[in-house]
Amino acid sequence: MGYPYSHDLEVNTLLSRHFGDEKARTLEGWKELGGYATLPRALEMEPGAITEVVKESGLRGRGGAGFPTGVKWSFMPQEPTGPHYLCCNADESEPGAFKDREILRWVPHLLIEGCLIAARAIRAEHVYIYVRGEFFPFSRIVTDAVVEAYEAGYVGENILGSGWNCDVTVHIGAGAYIAGEETGLMSSLMGGRAEPWIKPPFPAQAGVFGRPTTVNNVETLAAVPMIVAEGADWYRQWGTEKSPGTKLWCCSGHLVRPGTYELPMGIALKDVIYDVCGGAPNGKKIKAVIPGGSSTAMLTADELDCEGTYEGMAEAGSALGTASPIVMDEDTNIVRAMRRIAQFYAHESCGQCVQCREGTSWTAQLLHRIERGEGSLSDIDTLYHLCEQMTGRTICPLADSVVFPLRSSLDKFRDEYEALIRC
Amino acid sequence: MKNPIHPAAASSQAFQIAEIRPIERLFEDDEGRDRLEKALSRYPEKRAALLPMLGYAQERNGWVSDESMEQIAGALDLTPAYVRSVATFYTMYNKHPVGRHFIQVCTCISCHLHEADEVFERFLAETGTRAGEVSEDGKYTVIEAECLGACGFATAVQVNDRYFENVTPDQIPAILDELD
Amino acid sequence: MSDATNYVTLTIDAVEVKVEAGTTVLQAAEHAGIVVPHYCYHPGIPSRPAQCRMCLVEIEGQPKLQPSCVFPAQDGMVVYTTSETAETARKSVIEFLLLNHPLDCPICDAAGQCMLQDYAFETGQLRSRYAEAKLVLGRDRVADDILYFGDRCIVCTRCVRFMEELAGDNALVVAQRGHKAYIDTFPGKDLDNAFRGNIVDVCPVGALVHEDFVFKARAWDMDSSPGICPGCSTGCNIDINVKENQIVRTKPRLNPDVNSYWMCDHGRRHLVMANRGVRAEAPLIRVDGELEPASWNEALTWIAGRLEAGDGAAVVSGGAANESLFYMRGLLSELGIDGGTFRVLQGEEITLPGFPKLKLRADRAPNVTGAELHGFKRSDELADVPDGGVLIVLGDALADAPADYGANAGFFLCVGSHLYPAMVNATAILPMTSVLEMEGTFVNYEGRVQRFHQALRAPGVARPAWMSLSRLLEHRGVGEGVLDARAAFQTMAAGTTGMDNLSWSGLGLRGELLSEAGQPAVAVE
Repeated sequence: MGYPYSHDLEVNTLLSRHFGDEKARTLEGWKELGGYATLPRALEMEPGAITEVVKESGLRGRGGAGFPTGVKWSFMPQEPTGPHYLCCNADESEPGAFKDREILRWVPHLLIEGCLIAARAIRAEHVYIYVRGEFFPFSRIVTDAVVEAYEAGYVGENILGSGWNCDVTVHIGAGAYIAGEETGLMSSLMGGRAEPWIKPPFPAQAGVFGRPTTVNNVETLAAVPMIVAEGADWYRQWGTEKSPGTKLWCCSGHLVRPGTYELPMGIALKDVIYDVCGGAPNGKKIKAVIPGGSSTAMLTADELDCEGTYEGMAEAGSALGTASPIVMDEDTNIVRAMRRIAQFYAHESCGQCVQCREGTSWTAQLLHRIERGEGSLSDIDTLYHLCEQMTGRTICPLADSVVFPLRSSLDKFRDEYEALIRC
Repeated sequence: MKNPIHPAAASSQAFQIAEIRPIERLFEDDEGRDRLEKALSRYPEKRAALLPMLGYAQERNGWVSDESMEQIAGALDLTPAYVRSVATFYTMYNKHPVGRHFIQVCTCISCHLHEADEVFERFLAETGTRAGEVSEDGKYTVIEAECLGACGFATAVQVNDRYFENVTPDQIPAILDELD
Repeated sequence: MSDATNYVTLTIDAVEVKVEAGTTVLQAAEHAGIVVPHYCYHPGIPSRPAQCRMCLVEIEGQPKLQPSCVFPAQDGMVVYTTSETAETARKSVIEFLLLNHPLDCPICDAAGQCMLQDYAFETGQLRSRYAEAKLVLGRDRVADDILYFGDRCIVCTRCVRFMEELAGDNALVVAQRGHKAYIDTFPGKDLDNAFRGNIVDVCPVGALVHEDFVFKARAWDMDSSPGICPGCSTGCNIDINVKENQIVRTKPRLNPDVNSYWMCDHGRRHLVMANRGVRAEAPLIRVDGELEPASWNEALTWIAGRLEAGDGAAVVSGGAANESLFYMRGLLSELGIDGGTFRVLQGEEITLPGFPKLKLRADRAPNVTGAELHGFKRSDELADVPDGGVLIVLGDALADAPADYGANAGFFLCVGSHLYPAMVNATAILPMTSVLEMEGTFVNYEGRVQRFHQALRAPGVARPAWMSLSRLLEHRGVGEGVLDARAAFQTMAAGTTGMDNLSWSGLGLRGELLSEAGQPAVAVE
């Protein structure tokens, strides 16, 4: 079932099947529902074999970048010379995204099982589940689940008598979007400012505490147990060749049924918005959709007939991102909405790179001025210039993230900007 | 001392809570030492316990004072300046005391599309405060928050460690009543 | 590096350059004489955060501009540092940096020596498109002698990283984040590190300034001379900035063998203090019981005629130049006086952890090794003066001498720069230039002979001691007086063990080690 609504188009794999079912939160309940059945099998597998299954399944990173998970794991050294770490990225902070929190709060043991199997695959001895600080109620649920799992021998020393040791620690952040960027996350986990670092070194060479590290998103790791249990072909029954499987879509904004839905990859964006979520409420028309979380390009209502895959959304000029469409109805003031988005990025810039530190703030101020009716036409040129100078110039993609919605809003809704300037 | 916590939980305790238990010296009682020791046991480097300890300071005192930062620096072999650099990077560490009910209204894009600005204004009006200040009775501080990650449940409001979802302006008096 | 060193050849702005593998593009460009503008990169600070984004260059085959400060040079690579994309990006960084900058260049200490001003000038943008209110951070103190002008700061974090990585004292940090980020100390814990002054030097703009320099001089009003810091036996290479014949500022000058890019604050203060004191300005000879001014010729003739070989004592200073000490030794030999001593003020030794070769050394004098090389012995006490014998004092050795010191001498010649109480007992005083007012050499703790240049005009008719002493010898029929530092050095080098391998021009700006024969006995770290 989806949450808080469900729909016929949904595919409820283990990922979302138990959303809304409090029973799944406890170890006992979870075992009754069939939980922790895959871990013993994984413990009997060679780490490389686990990676191979995940590689074959075509599972791609659900944090937004869509990098093939199995390939990422294969970057880890095969012959460990010291500790390896797995970081579960539960710093879900992309405006529009609220899918990981559903996993954290409804199926914490699924996540733990996924973490352990992944840790096994990459030979990690410690898993850090980095949960954004604001998620107190959800990090508490995951923490309780981890403690239960320790007590039952699923986590810790000699797991299920296999001789394999793996610790799990829930580590909470404290308010920083940039801690969701993988190097930012590791900086933060090490007790620092969540400042991204320039690669190399890549995490698989020298990540957290200078050791080989893999950072995976919550949804990615939660998909691992069923893939290992059911096999790559089973997972590939959904989706496309390049974007297989199912995906949690979290839909917000002006919708009749906003929420998180597990849908097969490849579903048309318009079906997600109109069919699954019921379109805009009160019979309003939709003006624009930011399909993959706030850092993806806006689409107009006419551009929604696109395939909900990494490739399909790119072809449509946007990105699947975290599959978090933010829907804006016909009454939405695009400039004001864009200003609010820009304000977010200005607030969240870590401040290292000049283009981002100064550019995000300038963008927000400039948009605010236009919104107040004090803009001039040359401000639009300046915004385009900012788009150009904030793209591909910085250590991490935060500056690029504001450019995607901004440039597309300028391209597609220039009349709204001009109207505010001319009024 | 609260019930001893599992070491795996030492770095994930909620630190924005209503029932603070103020303490001057963070690491001179059993609870503080226990928390420090357990957090340290989870990482190969001492420094990694910094966020958990900043959280502990706020959990106890409601905010992170300069004195707390110095004590944490001492406990983790860091300089106070470094601790402050980290503490000021993260928005959730209060560098000043806040009201007992710390109300954060998400006004980011999805909530913005759902009256978030009105919800925020209404909270200010009902509590008689300006953004960020502590109400005269010490009960409330209201601030605007960036995305709280509850976009499908707009407007999202966080009060200490609780989420209130689908909040509309007219529900606010009832929410405030419930808090008291 | 062994013979196995790998080299790569790349093309930067159509210039082919061959560098060691592992060299960054920015450093490779330097080899080709191309400066890639940069802020956060500093060659002396190990970390490379690549955060200022100023050094972005275009590299064929790379879809994005790349930070040349970290991007490794590779064989066959083709780099453009001035392509349109690279230029536009750079221009844009400048525009961003100037958004909230107060443009207070007219009252900024860094004006004329500011990397922001320079690059803004180069990129030539007449007006800002920024129509919003500027963020105002104001001014703060980070140390009792260093101010921070937050509005000028570009948050390159060089200062933070100097403190952390070189000084090993993580007391200066970035506070807040994003466009609100600024540099700060912990409240009540200002920097007290002995090397903190370097944060002012590494600041590429005018954000960090020495309080004793604020509003004192414009960059273009100062003369700068390469010198050697006389504050201790390390012999840090420095630039001495002078305005109206007063030292207003000292900055470390790169010497990878001695002090890298750094110097200590003791050295800085020491030099500024050198402006003070009562100076000997004219030769004085004792006529009818009174010290009377005389011309140089008159004085030298007078002294040469009265000095007699025999019992005597000599006191020198570990702060005197080698050449002066050499001619002092010559005079003493001529008079049949052996030995001679010097005292060295001792202080706490403080190391710069990130470049441990650089220490504020316990010997607070620049030429202890040189003095020993010329046969003078370190002593805790002032030399005893034989009654009625000869006493010759070179340099500022009498600052703390008792007022009756030397009163029992038969002939007391003092060659000094400052006037001290005991000097009233002198038979003759020859005014000496301080080491800041002359050319010469010191030998540092590890036997490195380093040249210093003249930074200040000497008061009155003060002359370098090597000049006056060589002329005094000439007046006594020994050799010829030397009138330039090169001649003094070469005469000395030829006649001094351990120096015969050295030439004046060969010393250059980095100095040369003494040959093995002249090496100081102490173990070199």
